[in-house]
Amino acid sequence: MKNETQDKEGGVSRRDFLALSAFATAILAGLGIMAGVFRFFKSDAKYEESRSFKIGKPENFPVGTATKLADKKIFVFSDDNGIFAISCVCTHLGCLVYETETGFQCPCHGSKFNMAGKVVGGPAPRGLPWFEITQDIDGSLVVDTAREVPAGTKNRYS
Amino acid sequence: MYSRFYLSVLLISGLLVLAYLGFTAYDSFMPEWMSYQFEYRDYLTKNAKDDAAKKLARALPLEFTQVYLGEMNKVDRCTNCHMGVENPLMENTRLPYKKHSGNYLVNHPVDKFGCTVCHEGQGSATNTKEAHGKGHDTHWDTPILPLAYVQSSCAQCHDTNMLSKSGGDKVAKGEALFMEKGCKGCHKLKGVGGDLGKPLDKVGRQPIAYFTMKHIVGEHTVFNWLKQHFDDPRAIAPDSAMKVKLGEGEADLLTTYMLTLRPDEKPKSYRRINFNEPPVQNGETLYKSYCSACHGDGKKSLYDEVFKRTVPAIMNPSLLKVMDDTNLDKILKEGRTGTQMTAWKKTAAGLTDEQIKEIVTYMAANRPADRPEPFRLAEFKGDLSHGKEVYDLRCAVCHGTNGKGGEDMLGVSLRSKVVQKMIDPEVLAITVRDGRADTPMPAFGSDPFGMSKQDIADVVAYIKDFQSGGGK
Repeated sequence: MKNETQDKEGGVSRRDFLALSAFATAILAGLGIMAGVFRFFKSDAKYEESRSFKIGKPENFPVGTATKLADKKIFVFSDDNGIFAISCVCTHLGCLVYETETGFQCPCHGSKFNMAGKVVGGPAPRGLPWFEITQDIDGSLVVDTAREVPAGTKNRYS
Repeated sequence: MYSRFYLSVLLISGLLVLAYLGFTAYDSFMPEWMSYQFEYRDYLTKNAKDDAAKKLARALPLEFTQVYLGEMNKVDRCTNCHMGVENPLMENTRLPYKKHSGNYLVNHPVDKFGCTVCHEGQGSATNTKEAHGKGHDTHWDTPILPLAYVQSSCAQCHDTNMLSKSGGDKVAKGEALFMEKGCKGCHKLKGVGGDLGKPLDKVGRQPIAYFTMKHIVGEHTVFNWLKQHFDDPRAIAPDSAMKVKLGEGEADLLTTYMLTLRPDEKPKSYRRINFNEPPVQNGETLYKSYCSACHGDGKKSLYDEVFKRTVPAIMNPSLLKVMDDTNLDKILKEGRTGTQMTAWKKTAAGLTDEQIKEIVTYMAANRPADRPEPFRLAEFKGDLSHGKEVYDLRCAVCHGTNGKGGEDMLGVSLRSKVVQKMIDPEVLAITVRDGRADTPMPAFGSDPFGMSKQDIADVVAYIKDFQSGGGK
């Protein structure tokens, strides 16, 4: 074993190099395993309804129409400036609002909203959110209820 | 310091773990579906019509997607590879991102129905092999259905009337064949049918392990078993007594129909079954469903190769001439013990009295108008010992020395409950005297046999004595 201690070209003896690299790989492997374990806490997919969904082609929403998609809990409006989607869940306690001539009305505690979803009366703490609409590659519109847009955002789609 | 040996072991195992981690990291960052998504995006970018479309295509996110169907308790991740199923631009491309054929998706959008509800397979899987569920090692009982059988899934929500008109013709044809070929003569379905074969309820969803797959060629799946069993029952199940006389393509249609027999019910919001038009059940359709598999058209007696016995001609005019409706009704209800003929009454094979009456009426339509000349058996006193002599000489050849008929015999059993207890001896005497046209049973009352009335009375007495232990 004499020659090993004599081999000092790189400043580290051969035995020291072996020990060093062995421990280094062990630590790296340990860290990798830890990272892998923590990776499991973040899921790629959840067993729940997707919050973004297709609502159909733009031509299904001609200018001047208001469509209530009850199962998705949104209103889809179309006017001269474009198409936009407003939530129909009251921000107070979650009842479904209905449309009136001046805006929206909640049947539960009387909250009132104007056409843009802004609170004009009742206990609702904030206005009805507007949701982002994008166009899918096959041409149909997609509403994402996880992404809100500022009230008044209207876009034309073809 | 540590020993060199242990350090080497640590180094090598550490390197192995790192290599494995590297492999899993690559696998999770670059899964199988990702490459299809790249190809899909490339195709769209290349074939974009204008700049806006090109921009849209470039911005297409490559990400994990799924269709969540809460009501059906399903998660389908097929769209990770089959990205273009709803995209009209993908009409003429290749699988997996090709557009779905036909207009099925118009009324069945992917985000409401998913894919596996019709195509089967394992929706939650994220690689091709597992998702398609093919091969023994995927341990998946419902592998992806071949296109020949995929219509079987339509019947989960649609009735045959609707399917026959729009896009489910194979199910409708399969069901018609199922009735016409007389499958229920031997197989019970919803409690009605014969008992020679296995009941067919839920057969479309039975686990693969319930089937003997030893002789199956190709993939061991339920639909392959059904198809190959229809092609040649005894090649798949050597002791099967099943009869099949199927034309070209009919095995596929019947397989499709078999696969519709599933126990699980889809949620009500998905079903479109209309029960307002129940199928017609008149004497003829009932006869086809329950009798024709063994008796054919009933005009001629048939020697059955599988049963190894003669199946009587039940619509033969000379039989109908002597048998009145009451006798036919009794035979249908009670069956013939000791033969393949099962008892069709409500408590056994499950036909209602009205249905049996329909069948009897249908059979009796062939009855000749003239009644047979009465024998007046009551005027003769049967002599058992002379009856035995006559029986051994004339009858034993076909009906067996013990009267059991059966295997390799032309004659039917004379010991069955029907012959012994239900049929009037007068009918027996007339049958011996006049024989039965179109069957091997000759008329013994005329030349060349020339049995006297007394001989016939003796032999009838001898046959009737079987039930009290005679003729052993």
